[in-house]
Amino acid sequence: MIERKQTLETACRDFEEDLVLYYYGDDSEAERGRVEVHIRTCVRCQRFLDDLRRLLPQMAQPESLPQSFWDGYYRETVAKIAAQRDRSSWWRNFLAPMRAWALPVLATASVAVLAVGLLIGKGGWNPQAVRPRANIPQEILTDASQLEFFNSMDMIESLPALEALDGGKTAPWTRPNG
Amino acid sequence: MSRQPSMDNQKSQELRDEELVALCQQGQGQYFDFLVRKYMEKAFRIAFDFTRDKEEAKDLSQEAFLRAFSRIKQFDGRSSFYTWFYRLVVNLCLDYARRKGRVRWQSLDAIVEENPERAELADTSSAPDGQAMAGEAKRRAQSTLKSMPDKQRTAFLLRNHQGLPIADIAKVMKTTEATVRVYLHRAVAALRQSLLEFV
Repeated sequence: MIERKQTLETACRDFEEDLVLYYYGDDSEAERGRVEVHIRTCVRCQRFLDDLRRLLPQMAQPESLPQSFWDGYYRETVAKIAAQRDRSSWWRNFLAPMRAWALPVLATASVAVLAVGLLIGKGGWNPQAVRPRANIPQEILTDASQLEFFNSMDMIESLPALEALDGGKTAPWTRPNG
Repeated sequence: MSRQPSMDNQKSQELRDEELVALCQQGQGQYFDFLVRKYMEKAFRIAFDFTRDKEEAKDLSQEAFLRAFSRIKQFDGRSSFYTWFYRLVVNLCLDYARRKGRVRWQSLDAIVEENPERAELADTSSAPDGQAMAGEAKRRAQSTLKSMPDKQRTAFLLRNHQGLPIADIAKVMKTTEATVRVYLHRAVAALRQSLLEFV
């Protein structure tokens, strides 16, 4: 036994990989011919190949399972797939009617939100700055210079409010004496 | 069964994989059942080779079918369906092995006890000594397979147990044929080495 073990330990270094491929039939014609010529004269490689022929098929022997196992397996698997299919088709059905109008509506809403956001961000939209034109007398509205004067008066009127907002940082000439 | 395709079953079974896949991609998912029928045994056996556990093998192979079904529209036909599907099964098995930290090897002796007529390695001897030796050989083979790097084990199992050509194994493993040959050689050499005293 020991003697045999020692003799079987290696095949020829250059041929071992080729012998594995030869066993599985995964080599080319040329490689096959080369191996066949070699094993005619090499006992170690012959034994190596014999070992593969003895061991490997036995390792690959599949366990025999009864038909009932495969029937059950099939039923269970297709049931799981059908459940998955039903789930996905439920969502598809739910979303299907929305598809026709969802995209334009979402696009319009997005543009509107973006526009409002830009307006607020740039400070271009200040409701307090909008003066109701209805309160301005018609005579002033017709005269552009008077309208300008009217607007500057508004600014002067709002100076105390601006100073109050500014708090302690108000200009010295506006501080009350004492 | 309402899930079965309305088309005649016999005709549907004659459809090639690409035709079945195309039907599924067109929304006729019921045709996937034929692919299940065709590949369930192979899928289960690959998973069993990796896990050595029937329940785990069943769960993993069924999960592979579910994934294949949910991703069927992503299948672009650049490889064959079975190569694509084998990759899913193998990846799930490798993920499972990593998740578990080790592959749980159900004793092959337990399988032999269930099916005494199907003993595996070196089962030609009926003498008690021979049977003991066969059991030890099986354990040794399992241990060697278990200790192999994932890639060597995958190459070996797909070639030796599943009979896949090296070109297909290379596609499944997303590597070159030359690399698969190296993995296969290393795996076989390691197994032979570990089983020398039993041959």
